[in-house]
Amino acid sequence: MVAPSATLSVLNRADGSASYQCPSTGSNILGSVNAPVELPGRRDALKPEDATIEVFVKPGTAPAGVGERYVEGILKTLLGRVILGREKGYPRRGVVITLAIIGGESVGRGDPYLILLPALLHTALLALLSASVPLSMTFSATVLAVDESGQILREPSAEDAATAQSVHVLAFSSKGHLLLNESQGSFDFDTWDKVRQRASAICHGTQLVSADGDVAMAEDVDGRPLEGTLRETVEDQVYRDYNWKINAA
Amino acid sequence: MSSPLVLLPGDEIPSEYLPSTSSAPLRLGAGLRLLSQPHRPTTSNNSTSSPSHVLTATQAGILSTDNKRNAVSILSSPRRRYVPTANDLVIAQIHHSSPDYFHCMITPQAPHAVLGQLSFEGATKKTRPMLKQGDLVYARVLSVGLGAGAEVELACVNPATGRAEPGGLGPLNGGMVFDISTGMAARLMRASSSTGEQQEGVAGLVVLDELGKKLEKAGGFEIAIGRNGKVWVDCSNSGDVAVKATVAIGRCLTTIDEHDLNPADQKKLVSRVLRELKIEV
Repeated sequence: MVAPSATLSVLNRADGSASYQCPSTGSNILGSVNAPVELPGRRDALKPEDATIEVFVKPGTAPAGVGERYVEGILKTLLGRVILGREKGYPRRGVVITLAIIGGESVGRGDPYLILLPALLHTALLALLSASVPLSMTFSATVLAVDESGQILREPSAEDAATAQSVHVLAFSSKGHLLLNESQGSFDFDTWDKVRQRASAICHGTQLVSADGDVAMAEDVDGRPLEGTLRETVEDQVYRDYNWKINAA
Repeated sequence: MSSPLVLLPGDEIPSEYLPSTSSAPLRLGAGLRLLSQPHRPTTSNNSTSSPSHVLTATQAGILSTDNKRNAVSILSSPRRRYVPTANDLVIAQIHHSSPDYFHCMITPQAPHAVLGQLSFEGATKKTRPMLKQGDLVYARVLSVGLGAGAEVELACVNPATGRAEPGGLGPLNGGMVFDISTGMAARLMRASSSTGEQQEGVAGLVVLDELGKKLEKAGGFEIAIGRNGKVWVDCSNSGDVAVKATVAIGRCLTTIDEHDLNPADQKKLVSRVLRELKIEV
């Protein structure tokens, strides 16, 4: 399995940004985060103690439509649970997340966004980390398709997803909670449970916590756990940014 | 110093990385929060707080500890947006003036900060600086207010003593402002406030020392660094080369910020920029 590749802080003027290459669909997603920004008007009046999160998904070639609105809603709900909107400087301000889909198989008008959803989630997370927006935890997500014979297929392409019985997107927090479950198609509970176990293994691997609290990332059929890949991306960027400090020490 | 600890949001801070002096209470800086864990079975946490509490990170970055002040914080992305904090020195631009206050911009897309018409050294109702729109001031963040929607207040004077403390606060005349990242501004602040006897290259920056040495003959320069990612440079003593020297300093600082140059490359860059602009050294 090819691991996704990502770069942080690619844009100059945004507060935080990330570029994410999704191996299964071949699309490149560019995310930018501006936070905390002043909101126009009184759109913040409903929750005066919390930050307002706005997510925009821009397809590469077409204007955003119903499908984008739908996926924006999913992203907004999930990110709202992770972002600490009550930290200093954030209440009544906005966290604006813009995700542009560049290249790859474009999602047709009205088609579900499920196969791109993990990539969008990861891009948003990395951009938020790059903007130093306070978060309670990180997360990782994956998409699985179940075909007619009950085989679970990891990160299906658009054709595979179209012929599959059901498609599931699951996101797990870094503490192991199930954060998001979006399913499409017909399936029974046993299938879903198998999908959940497989997704958990893809995101976290089989964790072995040793006595000193170190988490060993075990590798299995699914290769490196996604969480480890994301962590490494962020660590690389931190080491680059603080090269001067690390070298001096 | 042991190898730096890189944390992601939600990570717990191992107790061995916390300052060991337990005489004063531990001070938490940016990017950290204290969570209580009533059902935590193990007691392998830090000794400074009770075992039912745990410190977790809220931002991604390097853990930075200060043994002297018994403080711990996270150094996060240097290109983040500036969030005003009390006692920060900032370079603000006057947007408009009202009978009691100047309304200033610290960062674009943030509400205006207020600066009292009389909060300058020696200002009275009759003799106060007449600042126009677009003028620059070097000011200290007096308070950021409590709760949502509070105003940020600036001052160019210490209210207790009536002096411009630390020195240099007040209107900035002439010169030019360059934009740098907030992380670079913090580094420059540490590098320029340190005294000469310290080891070379505080915070990995030798550019100011180098520029100071090279531009000494031309008349030197004045510099003010705002934590909001602005740096003001003035070379009005330099006569003919004033403009060229200002541009050279700005170019050096922004290039170093953009490319994260190491001390050797910083020295090379300074020589190259001065040569390109044909400034005699």
